[in-house]
Amino acid sequence: MFNRQGIKQQQVKVGGKQLTIIQAPRPQRTSQVATVWGALCSLWNGMRVTWRYFSRPSSIVTQQYPENREHLKIPERFRAQLRLKYDENGEHNCTGCKICDVQCPNASIEVIDMRGESGKKEIDRFVWRMDICTFCNICVMVCPFDALEMSNEFESSVYDKRLLTYQLNRYAGPTKKAFEKIESSADRERLKVGRQPFEAPTPLGIAAGVASGPGVSVAPPSTMKKDDI
Amino acid sequence: MSLEIRTLSEIMNPPQTADSPLSTQEYFVNMGPQHPATHGVLRLVLKMDGETIREVIPVLGYIHRSIEKMAEYLHGRQIVHLTDRMDYLSALANNWAVSRAVETAMGVQTNPRIETIRTLICELQRVQSHQLWWGVLGLDLGALTSFFYGFRDREEITDILEETTGARLTMNYIQPGGLMFDLHPNFVPRVKAFIKYFRPKLDEYETLLSENVILQERLRNVGVLSAEDAIGYGATGPVLRASGIPLDLRKQQPYGVYDQVEFSVPVGTVGDCWDRYWIRIEEMRQSLGIIEQLIDNIPDGKFMEMKPAAKLKLPAGSFYLQIETARGSLGVFLQGTGEDIPHRCHFRSPNFNNLWSVTKTAVGGKIADLVAIVSTLDLVIPDVDR
Repeated sequence: MFNRQGIKQQQVKVGGKQLTIIQAPRPQRTSQVATVWGALCSLWNGMRVTWRYFSRPSSIVTQQYPENREHLKIPERFRAQLRLKYDENGEHNCTGCKICDVQCPNASIEVIDMRGESGKKEIDRFVWRMDICTFCNICVMVCPFDALEMSNEFESSVYDKRLLTYQLNRYAGPTKKAFEKIESSADRERLKVGRQPFEAPTPLGIAAGVASGPGVSVAPPSTMKKDDI
Repeated sequence: MSLEIRTLSEIMNPPQTADSPLSTQEYFVNMGPQHPATHGVLRLVLKMDGETIREVIPVLGYIHRSIEKMAEYLHGRQIVHLTDRMDYLSALANNWAVSRAVETAMGVQTNPRIETIRTLICELQRVQSHQLWWGVLGLDLGALTSFFYGFRDREEITDILEETTGARLTMNYIQPGGLMFDLHPNFVPRVKAFIKYFRPKLDEYETLLSENVILQERLRNVGVLSAEDAIGYGATGPVLRASGIPLDLRKQQPYGVYDQVEFSVPVGTVGDCWDRYWIRIEEMRQSLGIIEQLIDNIPDGKFMEMKPAAKLKLPAGSFYLQIETARGSLGVFLQGTGEDIPHRCHFRSPNFNNLWSVTKTAVGGKIADLVAIVSTLDLVIPDVDR
């Protein structure tokens, strides 16, 4: 350990504030011989630390990923993928209020709503573009219905960029609360219009006129033609 | 005072003069933008005479992402996540700077719990940042071992922060009006365990590098930055304190709960690389002391004082606030017009000013000295360019 005996502490007044300063000590060398001898000694001391760790396998901290996948612990708050929360019946809380859409700093969320059977606004498509998302967690924080969460599935690499545009809702229709008022299960199932994760309108898909389902009205870029793809 | 403005092409292609009687020839070397010792995409054009540096010209803009311009289209809560990407090693302090600026502009009061957690978590990240700097300094000067030891201990803090903030680097944790999450229940015991773990390791750091005479010889009297020059270049943080000026915003303009904790300010005497090195080592000890004082005294209260989706309306006027990050004072300038997005947003980043002191300190030295100087300035290039 560096010699801390000669370290000076003193009180000074700077900008009207009293503060304690510690002056940095300076290493002193008297001669060339002392420097060379000191360098050899300090190399020996440093190598002793290295060898102590080298001879103790218990101090190894390296994790062997992906071999340790089974017992890999990811903190529950870790932000890997945006998801809608589903209960055991597969129903979510999202009402299509678009607060997350408005608050998202880089427009990676697009919420498309529709008029449901009861005349109320319902979620049609919840489109999340992972490729431009910065995982800032603002959408989860601002959601007034606690409908969103960040999941821990961090292995999200794909071979095609278009697969990074997700449709998060598994069905278009009413929320969990609205379903509670409906008695018959047949009615419930009728109101759930199925949605697939990758049928969201992608930038290329919109231009080609592919996968632009009901309620999606996005004009393709004027420079792009249908034959381009 | 005269001001000389030259373009890079004027410097590199000087007008032809009469033949020099000397047999030496000055030439230019590009250090970077892809060079491991420049810690990012920094390009230093070196005017060399043999192995002696005659002039250093930093060339910027290789990682410019126009964060200030983007901030003109975003409201206060959205700007915060961009500042993670400026100085990514002190992301929390950057978040705090913007959050404080927005809070001050809007007149939002936060409770003691929020301020204590902010102080605590920023000091943790200061230690983390200095650990990485220590490891990389050894790597730059040819000691690979310190790099692994620095990262091993940094990983402990990263895990603690990941558990509470949900991210390892771009945390976006401190929000205008409070915090994104409350502290994780494991936070307090894990921080206590970390302090117990890290104090002996810090002594080991000193055995490995501080006591090493080879390292001392490479840092001592290299890259001397006098107090006048440090002020002239606008250097802040450990670089300024190494030149002998005890300016620490945590003392001079206390924010958070820094006025309730005891800590000393390490200062240098000469302003060389050794002083900058020792100050950061000592700052780690002081930060551990601050954490120890606060960790048992976290008051109760809410962790968010605003509604999460509340509209942040900046009143008309200009607001400027400074915060001491691990590298110096980060200033945030916001100009509000009564709308929720700022008319102008400017960041006075510590690394930009610290970088320019290299044009003074490296002249007359060797390339190996320049590596030591750049390393002890502890530059984060995305913060220089923004």
